[in-house]
Amino acid sequence: MARVLSLVRQQESVEAPRLAVGDEALVDRARKGDVDAFERVYRLYAGRVYALCLRLVADPVEARELTQDTFVRAWEALPRFRADASITTWLHRIAVNAMLERRRGDRRRSARVSLVDDDEDGEAQIAGVVTAPDVATAIDLERAIGALPPGVRRAFVLHDVEGYTHEEIATMTGLAAGTLRAQLHRARQLLKRALSL
Amino acid sequence: MSEHTSSDDRLDELTAGLPREVAPLPDLWPAIRAELAPRSARAAQWSPRWRLVAAGLLVAASSSILTLFATRMRDGVGGAAAVATADRAPAPPRPRAPARLPAHLVVAERGYARSIDALWRTLDERRDSLAPSTVATVERSLRIADSAIAEARSALEQDPANRVLADLLVSNYERKIDLLRRATELAPRT
Repeated sequence: MARVLSLVRQQESVEAPRLAVGDEALVDRARKGDVDAFERVYRLYAGRVYALCLRLVADPVEARELTQDTFVRAWEALPRFRADASITTWLHRIAVNAMLERRRGDRRRSARVSLVDDDEDGEAQIAGVVTAPDVATAIDLERAIGALPPGVRRAFVLHDVEGYTHEEIATMTGLAAGTLRAQLHRARQLLKRALSL
Repeated sequence: MSEHTSSDDRLDELTAGLPREVAPLPDLWPAIRAELAPRSARAAQWSPRWRLVAAGLLVAASSSILTLFATRMRDGVGGAAAVATADRAPAPPRPRAPARLPAHLVVAERGYARSIDALWRTLDERRDSLAPSTVATVERSLRIADSAIAEARSALEQDPANRVLADLLVSNYERKIDLLRRATELAPRT
């Protein structure tokens, strides 16, 4: 988690220029195989995708790999991208899918099948997160999010950080509404406790 | 669910203040670019051979610059400088145990290694369709690129905080990938 903390401290938030006009044309060019246009898409959205990946997996190495996978998959899937859709949401969905596929692979490899990956270890882990007296800062929050159990973290990042609705998250992750609500509730409880709020 | 409290408000406030974007460092684009399959006829067209030669020269220039930096660095610590030439090029570098490299470069090397492996596989499949002189040009340029990478890596292991060398290592990897990509584009798909 310390690595995530230092990363967020060191890396500047990127205010990428938004293509208010011409966005569709850019995506259309990329869809037709224009690599230069796709690079522009990457430049515009890499920061958003990486931030999501970093918070979802709480590991910079894996987040970079996920970001790379996301854009390679996006290139392959671009011909099927609907012009009326949000490209940010579309990229985020690809990233979440890539992350979930990795998790499923990890579970198969470890033969540790569990639909509930938010066991009590998460509470034990997060309880020791904040040691500094000046809690309740954004840096502490990043660290606390990184220490959340994976499923709980995923729900919180997608809902509270990225602002997706329950329905959108259900579509992305396949989570049942009740499970999602419970995970969000648990995430908030754990974060408030960790941040002494 | 419990009702919204002031602590929830504070959590919401902190959450809203989180940066929405974080730049991945170093740049992931070269590694991504190397993995993109051509989707248009344009991408499969033959590129002019001079572009490949130019890419090789670029790598050679990079090697010379690197040598200059490495020489200055080592002079600074009292050691003799190694001069990188194609004749004395070390073996092609393999990403090794990341004991002394900065973490972000360890990550970058993994991505580059993956891209380079993929491009090598593609190039091997198409090698027979290339003219021998082109193959020789590619191989010579790649040896220079490997030499430059190895040189930068070696220097960085002695001075991991040197950002100039870190940038050079990254750019040398990117140039090698670009060279490989150009070579694969020279060869028609079978």
